[in-house]
Amino acid sequence: MGYDLFLGCVIPARLPYLEVSSRKIFEKLGIELHDVDGFSCCPDPTGIEQIDHKTWLTLGARNLSLCNSNGGIISFCSGCVETLKGVNYSLNKDNEAKKEVNDYLSKVGKAYEGKVEVKHFAQVLYENLDKVKDSVEKPLEGFKVAVHYGCHYLRPSEIIEWDDPFEPVTLDGIVKNLGAESIDYDLKMECCGNPVEKSDKDLSLQMIDNKLKAIKESGANCVVVVCPACYQQFEFNQRELNKKNNSEYDFPIFYLSELIALSFGFMPDELGFKFHRIKPSKLFESISFTV
Amino acid sequence: MSVINFEFRNEVLKHNASLSYCYQCSTCSGGCPIALITNGKYNPRKIIEEAILGLKDKLVESQDPNPWLCSTCQKCVELCPQKVELTEIFTLIKNRCFESHKYPEAFYLQGHSVFENGIAIPYSNAIVARRKTLGLPEIKTAPIEEIKTLMKETNFEKNILEGNK
Ligand code: SF4
Ligand code: SF4
Repeated sequence: MGYDLFLGCVIPARLPYLEVSSRKIFEKLGIELHDVDGFSCCPDPTGIEQIDHKTWLTLGARNLSLCNSNGGIISFCSGCVETLKGVNYSLNKDNEAKKEVNDYLSKVGKAYEGKVEVKHFAQVLYENLDKVKDSVEKPLEGFKVAVHYGCHYLRPSEIIEWDDPFEPVTLDGIVKNLGAESIDYDLKMECCGNPVEKSDKDLSLQMIDNKLKAIKESGANCVVVVCPACYQQFEFNQRELNKKNNSEYDFPIFYLSELIALSFGFMPDELGFKFHRIKPSKLFESISFTV
Repeated sequence: MSVINFEFRNEVLKHNASLSYCYQCSTCSGGCPIALITNGKYNPRKIIEEAILGLKDKLVESQDPNPWLCSTCQKCVELCPQKVELTEIFTLIKNRCFESHKYPEAFYLQGHSVFENGIAIPYSNAIVARRKTLGLPEIKTAPIEEIKTLMKETNFEKNILEGNK
């Protein structure tokens, strides 16, 4: 059993500390992740796909052709999951496209069969919720979490086939089982605005500002995300917005794996929290969470 | 004056037949976060209307509304009562913009990086060192010649090397 681990580009090459917590919790849960050599960019569904659909299909199919673990593929990134699921979806319903892609792949000695299942790491965690619950050593008391699902974790539901596209429950379910509180907030289901940064930085900032405002009003004291694009959007823009608008955002942004790792008893030092721009240590002090 | 371009309309229809189901109810625009924040300047219903009429000059030349503003949140696709696959249709339109070299710089930069490195973000020395400190394994990415061969086949090489305007 076990899964082939598809890391993608953003986490390993820019946010490697998020990879640390992710690997640690799966190890602790006894769920095996296999590293695979030779992956390219997934490719980015908000980037490459938008400029060249055929290249997106071809490179995606090549990545899928490299996998053979029984569990299929697991990824820590919602974008990678959407691409790999989307490529499977498109090629399995369109024989002509599948043949064309396989013609290309034959030039590099590869073949796409379409038999590899793809899962988001949060899906695997939710499917193992009892195990997760049993591994909690330090319940996250005092954590008032604003859960941000993000778009690509859920939609298009016909391709993702996981959770409800507008009233999802899985991430809230995990967070509650760690002993934390999930705080409802306005705009919970809105897009973080990250993909728009590529064409209009101001619009993208407005979108994240609106979300942060709503989170501030809700009384939450931190945010949890499951996608590196959302992570960067929340983590990297709070200071910029504060400078621009005199706002006072200082929400620590946690990857779901980090919250879980904390509850499993891992130390902030070994999780690389010092690489966060907004240090979680302030929150730990304010809610007397001893680490 | 906009010119109806049947050829372009048929090209979109061939790529995605769901275009013909649209009855212009505007549910998509009502739920679109970018339409909301731009006061309707960006408007998915309008792009679909232009595609039905095959208005290539609006869609690809003047890009009005600007298809690159779509955040790909996929809300419209979920909400559309006619199951029009809006984002797939937008992708086709943006692909044509790419072939005409009319697309934003950031997409060029990502495309170029994947063409040169196989990945969107190459590993800097600092990151390689940090990964080591964090106890993470070394990453072996795709052989670049393999990626370039595929990108030549799909014609991506030609388009990306011609750049954006
Ligand atoms: S919601 Fe669907 S049917 Fe209505 S205008 Fe938009 S694309 Fe057309
Ligand atoms: S996918 Fe694009 S057009 Fe559709 S609702 Fe989201 S931002 Fe609007």
